[in-house]
Amino acid sequence: MTQRIRSKIARGSGELAILSLLAEQPLYGFEIAKQIEERTGGALKFTLASLYPLLYDMEKRGWVEGRWQANSAGRDRRYYRLTPGGRRQLAPLRAEWRTFFQALDSLAGVSHA
Amino acid sequence: MPDWKKLVREHIASSALPAASREEVVSELAAHLEEAYEAALLQGLTEKAAVEFTLQEVNDWHALAARIHRARSEENPMNNRTRSLWLPAMANLIVAPGWLMILQKLAVQPRVLWIGDMAMVLYLPWLITLPIFGAFGAFLAKRAHARFVNRLIVGLSPALAVLGAFALILPVSLVVDQHRLTNFPFAYFALTIFNWVVLPALALLIGTLPFLRETNTLARTEA
Repeated sequence: MTQRIRSKIARGSGELAILSLLAEQPLYGFEIAKQIEERTGGALKFTLASLYPLLYDMEKRGWVEGRWQANSAGRDRRYYRLTPGGRRQLAPLRAEWRTFFQALDSLAGVSHA
Repeated sequence: MPDWKKLVREHIASSALPAASREEVVSELAAHLEEAYEAALLQGLTEKAAVEFTLQEVNDWHALAARIHRARSEENPMNNRTRSLWLPAMANLIVAPGWLMILQKLAVQPRVLWIGDMAMVLYLPWLITLPIFGAFGAFLAKRAHARFVNRLIVGLSPALAVLGAFALILPVSLVVDQHRLTNFPFAYFALTIFNWVVLPALALLIGTLPFLRETNTLARTEA
């Protein structure tokens, strides 16, 4: 049960992180992982194994769309962009996590940044 | 540098994903590993250490293959084959015959060639423009990351559709018109196939060829 909750938290935070990044600009998988790690100071880290199943699942749900195009080095990469459906998911997800942190804070004094 | 594509392909070979979809996943994951490896080298790791570091991206390939299969195959509203084969082929099947109909509406006269007592009706303006439609279909398929065979099929789809129609017409004609094989006009049938399948296929192939070349991920990730 504990593992399941942990897995759900990881998945939910991953979705929010990816949607938030893609709301700024289209990125390909490696860039997504790199930016998440850099911008969270290493607190959140995606490996290939954790990133792509999540990306493919989000693509299946119509939140993101992958398209091959050349990156700045001229290499073909699959860039993900946010779809209108994904954009609609972003606000409720943010609200959910805000509520979650507030609840945790009031219970355990865990303040979020 | 390790052949990342080969490594990924071997590890997810057991996945039940359709071949085209699997190949797309292989390309994407291999590209990720390649960049992770290069980043490790830039951090000053030796080649061997960089490989080991990169391989830590995946602890359990079997589990990853299963998760990817679940994510990509269930309730997918538009699978890879639809996107890379059926939709581009359908588009090509609409525009190429559509253009012929427009030419006919514009009263563009066909050229009639007589071969013995058999007439061959050639729409030369249509045949001349067919490479554009071959290119159009193959471009759409390539953009959807279709593999070589699918790009070829999409490029030639207008001719293949006619071939399919003829493959149906022959047995139906034999039954419905009560033809006997001995008096069936095979020569005329062959000429018709040459006119409406072989010639258009050759014209379409000219336009398709530039899009059959592998230019993308494979060559670059293995460079």
